[in-house]
Amino acid sequence: MDDRKTIASPGFGLGLRPDHYPEYLAGPQQVDWLEIISENYMVPGGKPMAMLDAIRADYPMVMHGVSLSIGSDEPIDMGYLAELKALAARVEPLWISDHLCWTGINAHNSHDLLPLPYDAPALACVVDNIARVQDYLGRRILIENPSSYVTFRSSDRSEWDFLADMAERADCLLLLDVNNIYVSARNHGFDPLDYLAGLPGERIQQIHLAGHSDMGDYVIDTHDAAVCDAVWDLYGRAVAMFGPVATMIERDDDIPPLSEVIAELDRARALAAQVLEPAHG
Amino acid sequence: MAEALRDVQARFLAGVIGGDLGAEALIVDDNRVGAARRLDIYRNNYRASLREVLADHFERVHAWLGDDQFDNLTVAYVAAFPSATRNLRYYGGEFPAFLARHYPEDGELAELADLDWALRGAFDAADAEPLDAAQVGALGDGWIERRLTLHPSAKLLVQRHNSRAIWSALDAGETPPDAAPLAVPVTLLVWRLGTQSQFRTLSEEEARVLALLGAGASFTALSVDAIGRLGEAGAMEALAAWLGRWLADGVVVLADQA
Repeated sequence: MDDRKTIASPGFGLGLRPDHYPEYLAGPQQVDWLEIISENYMVPGGKPMAMLDAIRADYPMVMHGVSLSIGSDEPIDMGYLAELKALAARVEPLWISDHLCWTGINAHNSHDLLPLPYDAPALACVVDNIARVQDYLGRRILIENPSSYVTFRSSDRSEWDFLADMAERADCLLLLDVNNIYVSARNHGFDPLDYLAGLPGERIQQIHLAGHSDMGDYVIDTHDAAVCDAVWDLYGRAVAMFGPVATMIERDDDIPPLSEVIAELDRARALAAQVLEPAHG
Repeated sequence: MAEALRDVQARFLAGVIGGDLGAEALIVDDNRVGAARRLDIYRNNYRASLREVLADHFERVHAWLGDDQFDNLTVAYVAAFPSATRNLRYYGGEFPAFLARHYPEDGELAELADLDWALRGAFDAADAEPLDAAQVGALGDGWIERRLTLHPSAKLLVQRHNSRAIWSALDAGETPPDAAPLAVPVTLLVWRLGTQSQFRTLSEEEARVLALLGAGASFTALSVDAIGRLGEAGAMEALAAWLGRWLADGVVVLADQA
């Protein structure tokens, strides 16, 4: 019996960044699909929308938001949601994702993915908000595990338990950021393998890989460097546990030429193929 | 009774945005990093992201002032204007007015900021089909009665200092002239041609006529105004030249199609 909630993996993708527009327009690239940051295209027109339409004609896309603020204990911003839905009508994405976080409250915005207390009231808030968003968009959304630097005193459960309960109760899907697991494990001192083991694999639709900055005592999720060996190892474990999952690399700062990011994506392809080979042999 | 999530979030955000120390009591302390340093990561992220977006939006103000002065200004601005927008693209709209209020003696500062912000606005303003020579031909004689307006990306900016010259020198990486007031204010037209934002300086007469056009005047109405100021021959010659350039630059649309 197949109890997967997800669609089949479209393969290996990249985050679309303006630095790489010329390379995508110049000719076909070895990238199966692209992820856009939704907010970058929630503008009226001009170059961003022209590039989006031109590149969308050649690649399947997924939409990844950074300001849905699903964990804010206040009514969902329906203006934002209407814009998101309009963008989805234009892009026709494979799926839409955002983060397990909140970005602001009382009309003030941090422009950061702020952590939640992992307790019953926050779970109720998030589940309720996801249900509203999914009803409005008419589709399941993906929620990504964040990287975090603090633990609330009121937290009474692990992040993976919170995510597993949330996904089940809200009937949503998950975007697994392997780098974020590594970053948070270092910052909070948990075992990343416990994290992977606690997740509902049948709901994981996508995986993010990225680099970070190691500050010694803690690690910051900066997306400005290559994926490190420890994160590659963890990715291999995730693929072994969850099977073939759509995987992409996020690079948001110090962005190298597209060929370098594709070479890094090839490493993900090779590693996933190697891990999955015995199962198909 | 436990503090409501909404109150926890308001307190945490006050810690991130305003540096309110009450936020530290919400989080677990530890010997390795400590609650204060952990919270500082979020404080730093907030300030760094807003300062980075201001430097991106106001590139020539940054170049004109240099890193230290620009940093000081953005710290003050970020403190005075906590972000109330969901999309960082729209943070900084009050920066030109903030500069005008705090530096009334340095009028070029707000004008450089105005120009940077207008160019950013033109970059991703709404799309609209601009009128071109072929369409004017196709509309026939009746076109002169059709109400016109500016393309959504187009904006007129009045400058009272040599800010345009400063902006252009900074943009080209050249040494900018000293700031100085102009004997007569000039109007700039900022707009997007294709996907590229740009601007040019207008003569007083062209600026006046384009402002009327932006308010929805027809070509007939523009002609009446220009004839009153330039005489019939002068007006026809000037209007023909202006119109040719407006159509080539894509700055005019039919008002009912804007």
